[in-house]
Amino acid sequence: MLFQALQKVFQKPTYAFLAFILSAMMFAFAAWLPNIRLIVSVVSSSDTSLSQKLGIPLSLLGSITTNFTSLSASYTIAIAVLFGVSVAMMVYFLRRKIYEVKQDGIATGFFGVASGVLGIGCAACGSLLLTNGLALIGASGVLAYLPLAGGEFGILGVILLSVSIYLTAKKIQNPAVCKI
Amino acid sequence: MEHHTEHETKTPTTPAPALTNALTMPIAVVIAGVLIAGAVIYSGKTSSSNTAVAPQQPVAQQTGDLEQMKPISKDDHIRGNPDAPVKIVEYSDPECPFCKRFHDTMKQVMDEYGKTGKVAWVYRNFPLDQLHPKARNEATAIECAGDQGGNDKFFAYADRLYEVTPSNNGLDPAELPKIAQYVGLDVGKFNTCLTSGKFTKHIEEDVQNATATGGNGTPWSIVVAANGKKYPLSGAQPYASVKQLIDLALQGK
Repeated sequence: MLFQALQKVFQKPTYAFLAFILSAMMFAFAAWLPNIRLIVSVVSSSDTSLSQKLGIPLSLLGSITTNFTSLSASYTIAIAVLFGVSVAMMVYFLRRKIYEVKQDGIATGFFGVASGVLGIGCAACGSLLLTNGLALIGASGVLAYLPLAGGEFGILGVILLSVSIYLTAKKIQNPAVCKI
Repeated sequence: MEHHTEHETKTPTTPAPALTNALTMPIAVVIAGVLIAGAVIYSGKTSSSNTAVAPQQPVAQQTGDLEQMKPISKDDHIRGNPDAPVKIVEYSDPECPFCKRFHDTMKQVMDEYGKTGKVAWVYRNFPLDQLHPKARNEATAIECAGDQGGNDKFFAYADRLYEVTPSNNGLDPAELPKIAQYVGLDVGKFNTCLTSGKFTKHIEEDVQNATATGGNGTPWSIVVAANGKKYPLSGAQPYASVKQLIDLALQGK
């Protein structure tokens, strides 16, 4: 059922392209997040050439191999891919004007992305978003006591996005026929 | 009739999956909540034994101000030309695996830019006690090496420590005097220094300065350009990124 739904959606180049673009954007967001200040500084500076404005952000994408553990790199890439697939499938479904999109599917996808984003930066020593968020309630030490030091949120993100894709696929495959 | 048909097509096929769907999200959220709550409670019980990162990172400092970086002075540990046009100030944790990786990147930087005097590497301490309780003692060991043998021994000790540590709090403290011996220090004096508390204040000042400038993880680096402009660099970024940033900083007039 899932495979058939994926085939139905991604045999159309538009949706395959949409999924690719969204996945690439999500991946870039994850890789750039720790250095948003640097990127803004470089891109907005009048002293930097166009090649530097492009070159520095592009080279920072390589941080997936240097600033992530194998586990966090795996779930970061998985979240990016699943996010692209999930959104493309939802768009396909919505464009068919079937208005019975269960909020479950969309909400699960949202929580998947949110949880995955929480996991970003946990790979480095001192999580970016998670530490800052938890620091507000004085609980950044939480990370030290999680077995995967925050990687749990990334894994949760992968699971929730997978569930979201499954739910959407089920909706796509449900034939819109009159029920007896 | 038409209205009836429309209604029928919108009807879910079976009630059972709807129930499953309805439960999936709340269950996932509850699991996440339990994970967080459990960890909060557990950390609360043991927080007195650790120096929390959180209290050192008030909200206002999380965005940080690079201009709050403590000026580079003779008290700093500098590898390379102290008058280099570009200086990379690195705040590092000896037990962070990414700092271990970035240490090699910085050595590569010094191989390419240090010999010509274009770049200097300023090493400062940023032990993350909550993640790596052994890191502060190791930072002290590096400082003690510098105290006894100047910058050369400081970096020789740091190089060896980063080389042998398996990271993530994995280095046996018994290795610290062995590293001292390896780099040619007087082990007796080194051990006395290690337990003296001589560098407690200095290391804490480094940590405070790191967080004041926006550091919320390690390695945290600030690239100071020839014209004084500061660029923040978070994490163990690839050599290609560091190189491009150095080239940009070098062109600043």
